[in-house]
Amino acid sequence: MSEAIRLYVRWVDTFNRWVGRFAMRLIFVMAALMLYAIGSRLFFGAPVNWSMEMSQFLLVSYFLLGGPYSMQMGSHVRMDLFYSQLSARRRAATDVFTILFVMFYLGVLLWGGISSTEYAWSYNQKNYTSWAPPMWPVKAVMTFGIFLMLLQAISALFKDVAIARGKPIE
Amino acid sequence: MSSELITLFMFTSMLLLMATGQRVFGVIGFVGAAFGLWLWGQGSAELPFNATIQVMNWFPLITVPFFVFMGYMLSESGIAANLYRMFHVWFGGLRGGLAIGTIGLMVLIACMNGLSVAGMAIGATVALPQLLAHGYDKRMVTGVIQGGSSLGILLPPSVVLVLYAMIARQPVLQLWLAGIMPGLLMAALFTIYIWWRCRRNPEMGPALPPEELAAITRSEKLRLLSAGLLPLGIFGAIMSLFMTGVTSLVESSVIGALLATLAALFTGRLNSKVLEETTRNTLGVSCMFLWIILGALCFSSVYDGLGAVRAIEALLLNTWDLSPWTILIMMMASFVVLGIFLDDTAMLVIVAPLYIPLVRSLGFDPIWFGVLYTITCQIAYITPPFGYNLFLMRAMAPPEISLSDIYSSIWPFFFLMIATMVLIMVFPQIALWLPQLYTGR
Repeated sequence: MSEAIRLYVRWVDTFNRWVGRFAMRLIFVMAALMLYAIGSRLFFGAPVNWSMEMSQFLLVSYFLLGGPYSMQMGSHVRMDLFYSQLSARRRAATDVFTILFVMFYLGVLLWGGISSTEYAWSYNQKNYTSWAPPMWPVKAVMTFGIFLMLLQAISALFKDVAIARGKPIE
Repeated sequence: MSSELITLFMFTSMLLLMATGQRVFGVIGFVGAAFGLWLWGQGSAELPFNATIQVMNWFPLITVPFFVFMGYMLSESGIAANLYRMFHVWFGGLRGGLAIGTIGLMVLIACMNGLSVAGMAIGATVALPQLLAHGYDKRMVTGVIQGGSSLGILLPPSVVLVLYAMIARQPVLQLWLAGIMPGLLMAALFTIYIWWRCRRNPEMGPALPPEELAAITRSEKLRLLSAGLLPLGIFGAIMSLFMTGVTSLVESSVIGALLATLAALFTGRLNSKVLEETTRNTLGVSCMFLWIILGALCFSSVYDGLGAVRAIEALLLNTWDLSPWTILIMMMASFVVLGIFLDDTAMLVIVAPLYIPLVRSLGFDPIWFGVLYTITCQIAYITPPFGYNLFLMRAMAPPEISLSDIYSSIWPFFFLMIATMVLIMVFPQIALWLPQLYTGR
């Protein structure tokens, strides 16, 4: 493994871990927002019209930005009927090929994300609600999350190649 | 190629890729994205990303992290250990009493948990070591925990029923109410089974030794009883706020998570480690769940675009001229079979848009069908090779429990679940009584 790849893996993993640990705390922001909305409606008779949409934006940010970190933690289930029978090295060798499918999917997602964000930016697209927030910021965050997921998949590919060759990174 | 053939081709390639053991969300999303590009070219490049917008607009999904958080807070803070202790002292004197108490524990946990993960975690770490230490049959108790924790998706608050409600466009509350009686019926069947097994074969579940029973004081018994009131109180608070319309579904889930956290705080169990574990595990489970939905939405929008729904409906109703019940039983059987290869979330997002219109045109109640579907999910959770609970059990079980123990432990519970399903098919009132009572007011 060349030094550049080693460096890539270390940097991507560290960065994604940092972003993921930030995203994981967004749940508290969502909760605070919703509690504020409940309190404002019930006790002050003033419904908050943007709390629901804001929570929706936060939820997509939560799972898209948190995605790479959850991948590091191995939270994503697999159909492991055959997979679990393999040795660690064989498993890594299988993943080296099959992660390409995941990367293809993430690539198409990213492509769609970029073009959708571009559209939202240049036409100043707004949500069809009473609050009517511009859509480009949330779309940009989502696209960034997908991009990080792609970087994480590439990092997983490098790590699996290293394991398959019998020289794991770190 | 006809649309039926393409659909078949899509499903086969998905199942084949799934067998390689790659992450489920990636495999399903890949098949959707690749077929979209192949069929409609560049125009469908935004199709996978549109699924993220769809997830965003399905606002009830906001409940997912909160209901998962509630369950983890309960297990990580050790509140659940107290609950277990309550059942231990109250039922321990009976033959098989600890296993019966574990079913009770699982029912209470199901009331505070949207999926089955927290139930599994509590069962495997709190109940299982105790049951084994008291000489219970390891195969029976492994099954008890797997079967019992699967009640988490049938009893409210259930995330699986929230997802079903969105796809079938049915009210969540009706579905939750419909899940209560079947869930309790299933728990009762489990209890009867354990009681019967231990009666015929006392060494499978010995009663607590007299000296241990004598050591339990009445004041401890009463004190522990109050531990059981805690989850019921939280459950009651969420449901009553939601049923009276004071808070919406999403807001109720936040209240639930808040109450669980406060309960941990006031019993002096909340510390930074508990909070860290709860938050991190919640992120992991929510990401897994939501990324699978993302991939599955991409997949289903492709075959939706092919018009496969109408094609299959026409094939079953007009060409083959099957009776409604035959079709229903075929649908249930296909769920069980698909559940072997596919995870249940993906299955719901992929298959439900195909089946729910059919269920309606056959004249069945979509709420009742939702309950039947959830039970097939429970079956899928515990049956090899692809079951969440099996997966978790393997990771969490103590070393004396082997893989073959885990696999052979589930069969009685598998049949009891099928029995519940048949009962609900024959007597739809079991599921529909409570929702009708609520709307009839």
